[in-house]
Amino acid sequence: MMMTVLLIIVGALIALFAIGVVSFKHPVASAVSLLVGFLLVGVFYLLYGAEFVAAVQVMVYAGGIMVLYLMGVLFTDNEWIHVTRQTHLQAWIGLVLILAFFAFFGHKLFHSEYPAIENVASQTVVQKENKAEEKLGYLKRETNPRSVSVKLFSDYLIPFEAASVLLTVAVVGGIFLAKKEV
Amino acid sequence: MSVSFAILLGFLLFSLGVFGLLSRRNLIVVLLSLELLFVAAGINFVVFSNLHKNLEGQIFTIFLIAVAAGEAAIGIGLLIALFRVRKSANVDEAKSLRG
Repeated sequence: MMMTVLLIIVGALIALFAIGVVSFKHPVASAVSLLVGFLLVGVFYLLYGAEFVAAVQVMVYAGGIMVLYLMGVLFTDNEWIHVTRQTHLQAWIGLVLILAFFAFFGHKLFHSEYPAIENVASQTVVQKENKAEEKLGYLKRETNPRSVSVKLFSDYLIPFEAASVLLTVAVVGGIFLAKKEV
Repeated sequence: MSVSFAILLGFLLFSLGVFGLLSRRNLIVVLLSLELLFVAAGINFVVFSNLHKNLEGQIFTIFLIAVAAGEAAIGIGLLIALFRVRKSANVDEAKSLRG
């Protein structure tokens, strides 16, 4: 019961800060709003039992990527935002269309002939029962980071290495784009 | 704490991301909205990983975060390049290809 209340509070806060991202006028306000949203998404992951992903989310997203975006704000001159509208006039049409999109497919997610998730409303998150495992001793206990890393470095070793190549290529490409003469 | 709540939250984040991507003028905020789309996908991965009690979803979320980091690096490079050419981060200024 307490978990449910916590999930609803965290989810509502995530939605609130996401609305802030798309509606604040100054890009720094949007970025800080997204930063708080990312931290809350980390809490959300924790509540769903993904401890390692929550740690990665906080460290990489909130710590790394958001600093990169704030540096982007630093590199650009944002004086024009005080004299120019930050959205197009067409944004109202877009808002109506997005609300219709959300309402239609949000309804279809749960009420169609072949629902995407069967009986999803009755499914609840099962909390891990560690009592039996605790008797096996500390080293035998399967924690989430341990099992994720075992899987990541056995079954998914090649994609993991490919991700490192992808990151290197992306960083080199970013530096090349930001260079003085292209 | 049902799964449908989390799926709806992910879908709401996706919708907001698409809205920000299409309607905002500042390239930085456009890139931030793109991050909202990534987070929406990540929430779905983690929730279904929990629902089916396997770890593939969490591993895919880690790869998703790596891809998002690469996208951020390229995005900032594009932002600085656009600012150098147009002296502004306004995406309306980037209209050289408009007919």
